[in-house]
Amino acid sequence: MKIILHNTEIFASTGGRSFDAAGSVVMFIHGSGQSHLGFMLQHRSFANRGWQCITPDMPGHGLSKGTALKTVELMADWYVDFMQAIGVTKVTLVGHSMGGLIGLELASRYPHLVSKAAFISTALAIPVNDALVDLAATKESAAIAAMMDWGHGPSGHIHEHTMPGTSHMQYGSRLMASNAPGSLHAGLAACNKYTNGPTAAAAVTCSTLTIVCGQDRMTPRKTGLALHGALGGELVEIPHSGHMSITEQPLDVNKALQAFF
Amino acid sequence: MADYKFDTLSLHAGQSPDARFGSRAVPIHQTTSYVFDSTEHAAALFNMEIGGHIYSRLTNPTVAVLEQRLAALDGGVAAIATASGMSALFVTVLALCSAGDHIVSSSQMYGANINLFEHTLKRYGIETTFVPPNNPTAIAEAIRPNTKMVFGEVIGNPGMDILDVPAIAKITNAAGIPLVIDATFNTPWMIKPIELGANVVIHSLTKWIGGHGIALGGAVIDGGNFDWGQNDKFPTLTTPHFGYQGAILWEEFGPAALSIRIRTEGMMNVGPCMSPQNAFYILQGLETLGLRMEKHMSNTKEMLEFLVNHEQISWVKHPSLSDHPDHKAAMRLMPKGQGSIITCGIKGGRNAGRAFIEGVQLASHLANVGDAKTLVIHPGSTTHSHLSADAMASAGLTDDLIRISVGLEDIKDLKDDFKQALRTAGKVASANGGAA
Ligand SMILES: Cc1ncc(COP(=O)(O)O)c(C=O)c1O
Repeated sequence: MKIILHNTEIFASTGGRSFDAAGSVVMFIHGSGQSHLGFMLQHRSFANRGWQCITPDMPGHGLSKGTALKTVELMADWYVDFMQAIGVTKVTLVGHSMGGLIGLELASRYPHLVSKAAFISTALAIPVNDALVDLAATKESAAIAAMMDWGHGPSGHIHEHTMPGTSHMQYGSRLMASNAPGSLHAGLAACNKYTNGPTAAAAVTCSTLTIVCGQDRMTPRKTGLALHGALGGELVEIPHSGHMSITEQPLDVNKALQAFF
Repeated sequence: MADYKFDTLSLHAGQSPDARFGSRAVPIHQTTSYVFDSTEHAAALFNMEIGGHIYSRLTNPTVAVLEQRLAALDGGVAAIATASGMSALFVTVLALCSAGDHIVSSSQMYGANINLFEHTLKRYGIETTFVPPNNPTAIAEAIRPNTKMVFGEVIGNPGMDILDVPAIAKITNAAGIPLVIDATFNTPWMIKPIELGANVVIHSLTKWIGGHGIALGGAVIDGGNFDWGQNDKFPTLTTPHFGYQGAILWEEFGPAALSIRIRTEGMMNVGPCMSPQNAFYILQGLETLGLRMEKHMSNTKEMLEFLVNHEQISWVKHPSLSDHPDHKAAMRLMPKGQGSIITCGIKGGRNAGRAFIEGVQLASHLANVGDAKTLVIHPGSTTHSHLSADAMASAGLTDDLIRISVGLEDIKDLKDDFKQALRTAGKVASANGGAA
């Protein structure tokens, strides 16, 4: 669907199905430099199982227009405005990577809007190497290549995809390269700046699921476990996945989400 | 873990040893269909909610390894393997063009590529304008509002004219249409057109990639670097699909929209799928592509030196030679080697050409290229024997022309074979009164 929010055209995927704001809504929140496409193997699946799935592209990402927001807190507020604009009053949240930080802010500051929250390959804080943040500003393609390398575990590097014939690294690179220039830098800088994670996590009251991946080099296993420690709730570990678990090990991720929903 | 390099990807991309038996080689999944876990699993596969296999016309695990390996090597988001190079081109056109559309194509190409555009597609309302591949201005001028793609081979047949991929990509990019490249003669070892701005790559895997003359195959590599939503020229990707709950592929699958369309239309409704057995053979070839291409190139270099200096040879054409009209572009685009196809003229015309072809013993006289074995053909006495010298000239061929696909034999043995065959040709030429 396409809507106008804050005078900007925003695209949101509904997983290939029509969307009913009055149904059980799952809202997927993408990470830095990503878009709705990162969740293509989740939202299509749940949309076809009776969930009302919605995965908006943040400004400057995917098929949305505009420029990227600068802080995690502003991004959380943006999602709240987005929900209001499409007439949704309560959601189950699924956040990946920086989307998990946004989920922490959203669930802690707007508890009435969130019934459950799932955090995938994320942490209480995602400090980003300054060199990578700078690279995203000066040579975005090199930053994307570095993130694809770091973001994928063994199956990603061996180009072994559950969608026959598809390459993780190349698909991921093209997805990231299709965002508006500057969006990746904004996202990484926002991650770096965000320090409210522990406070936010302590204030989350809804039930939660944390999915932690053994080969994750962007939000390593121990930082995922620390997030789970702060949130409590359910924990699922996927030992053989890298950071891009949603595309690398979609069946494991979906199984965990299905059990949690 | 750094990103794997070319030779590593050639051996490993797309496959981890299987969990059950640990098979190191790629298993041949000789099956038409796949058991579902449950009705829910079946429904999810049919709806493309998750990845997996349903029926081998669409996907097969052995074929998928080949596809993923090719995507990795060419820098594409996805690849689709097909029964032949020709069907790879056909399913690509089918995904992008409809009746009333127009294609701009290189005029210097493999004959069946030309015939598909000139005769077959025309009957279905798709028109093609042919332009020289090394004339960017002519290509730009031929593009019309209904043009849906520009197509060409990097090294054209038979003159080996070079299509300057980055220069033409600039033109297609500005026109909002994709650049589709047949890279059969190049393989990703010589050039990766997608990295240079092309959007789709077609291969006949039958040639250098398979490399052993044992299996036909083709592939489409989806670059994933084209914005199909930038205009309304590509409704097959930007309006609801006839299946899959009316999914809009560009929205649902983004950079992989084209390959999904090919999979769900060309493969599904036309069905030119590759057999798992052929995928296995081609994978065996692909494993050594880098090694073989190096040897193809070094043998070609030596063969060129031999031919250029041989008294029975009147002319030699290869993009690496400084007198080739596109020499500079070839060296810039393909610094590692400019291909292992050589054309040359035998003094003494058609009869001398025939004598040479019949005289070679190691080199095989047949209609293929890119085999590990050296291949030769003389169009004047075979494929084009019914044409007059004038008619051949207008097809870009001369009646003395020999095409050589340089193989991997010991170069000394090859040269010896050519020497003795050229001696025979020389005798025929002098019996003809030395007519060239
Ligand atoms: C440049 C080129 N493209 C395409 C093809 C067609 O490939 P296939 O024979 O695998 O259908 C050929 C075959 O000779 C070729 O040389």
